Amino acid sequence: MLSRLVFVSANALKSSGPIGAGLVQVSHLHTSPQSLVPVPPLPEKGGKVRHGIIPDEIFQTLYPKTGVTGPYMLGTGLLLYMLSKEIYVINHETFAAASIGAVIIYGVKTFGPSVAEFADKLNEEKVAKAQEVKDLAMASLALAVENEKKEQWRVDGRQMLFAAKKNNVAMLLETNRRERQHMVHNEVKKRLDYQLALQNLHRRMEQEHMVNWVEKNVINSITPQQEKESIAKCITDLKALAKATQAKATA
Amino acid sequence: MTLSFFDQFMSPVFMGIPLMALALTLPWILFPIPTARWLNNRLLTLQGWFINRFTQQLLLPLNVGGHKWATILTSLMLFLITLNMLGLLPYTFTPTTQLSLNMGLAVPLWLATVIIGMRNQPTAALGHLLPEGTPVPLIPVLIIIETISLFIRPLALGVRLTANLTAGHLLIQLIATAAFVLLPIMPTVAILTSVVLFLLTLLEVAVAMIQAYVFVLLMSLYLQENV
Repeated sequence: MLSRLVFVSANALKSSGPIGAGLVQVSHLHTSPQSLVPVPPLPEKGGKVRHGIIPDEIFQTLYPKTGVTGPYMLGTGLLLYMLSKEIYVINHETFAAASIGAVIIYGVKTFGPSVAEFADKLNEEKVAKAQEVKDLAMASLALAVENEKKEQWRVDGRQMLFAAKKNNVAMLLETNRRERQHMVHNEVKKRLDYQLALQNLHRRMEQEHMVNWVEKNVINSITPQQEKESIAKCITDLKALAKATQAKATA
Repeated sequence: MTLSFFDQFMSPVFMGIPLMALALTLPWILFPIPTARWLNNRLLTLQGWFINRFTQQLLLPLNVGGHKWATILTSLMLFLITLNMLGLLPYTFTPTTQLSLNMGLAVPLWLATVIIGMRNQPTAALGHLLPEGTPVPLIPVLIIIETISLFIRPLALGVRLTANLTAGHLLIQLIATAAFVLLPIMPTVAILTSVVLFLLTLLEVAVAMIQAYVFVLLMSLYLQENV
């Protein structure tokens, strides 16, 4: 873990400490064609550790030579070596170390998962907020597309609407024209009928007048002498006719 | 290597080179630097959350002029809490047990608040020396008392932190020694003493965090009066 710490801190110092950055990055500004964006994704989980602090890499490295129990033997051996040679002397600090170790292990075991969950929740909330914005934007854009399509359909329909309206207006105009034409026809007919009637009247009156005149003249021309002669003739004709019919009747 | 009880409070020196600067700067390595990423790992997320929340809570009662102090107060809080907590590990040196360090933190900051108050609003700053509603005959005495209280503040800040931490560490050492010495003689009593040691360590963890917070809180309070 300490080796990893050194690694990470060296990296951090190199990438963003003021002097380190100045020494390292000045020569790297806009020199390579490689783009710094997008940043490669972070690994999902941190480095694997056994028993909380010992990195798994040590176990993996020692496995080929010493098998599964290798690192444990190494640890026990080191510990016993340091104790027996009195490189590490057990004193009151050992008890203090045991005590603070117990506190730390208790703290991590009890509060570890909830703290990790809290940290994950913070990140998830950030993502959820951005996702919400994105979803809202997408929904509103989809709605806009739909509305646009509807408007386009409406525009197509508008042509039909205009045609129908034009039709209506044309029909109205036509009706109007026909009405007026009918009216004109009637009026002209009336005028012509009147003239006709007038002419007929004239003719009739002329005819009547002429007949009356002819009758009057004929009657006036009939002298009394002629009148008597005609009456006598009529009587003789009638007698003759009577005789004829009587004869026909008896025959 | 045999230890006496006060070796842990000696300023560390290695082959004649004082290591105090290292002791003060190396703890900052434990704080990851914010990256250019939008989503970070858990440690960085928690660190960012803590710093934001703490600064927000600390600056709530301050007016806008006091917000200039956000960086120094939050970084002071992180500094003290880290030093205190790291000092609980065995064989470590806690810089905040040194009175020189704590006075070095308390006096300049306190003096800064007083000078700001005297410069920007001298009447109000001097007015703090007389609490509201004091009976007239008590006024002279009270002004003297309040002035003494004002000048005691940096001393109190520094000594409070030093005393708490030193006392805590000493207690841990003493009780650990008791447990250690009793182990071959009376194991049961040694176990009881270990239990006491465990509880004391829990208390010390709390004290470490609380003392750091109290230091920063009082500083923000003095700032509130004067800004």
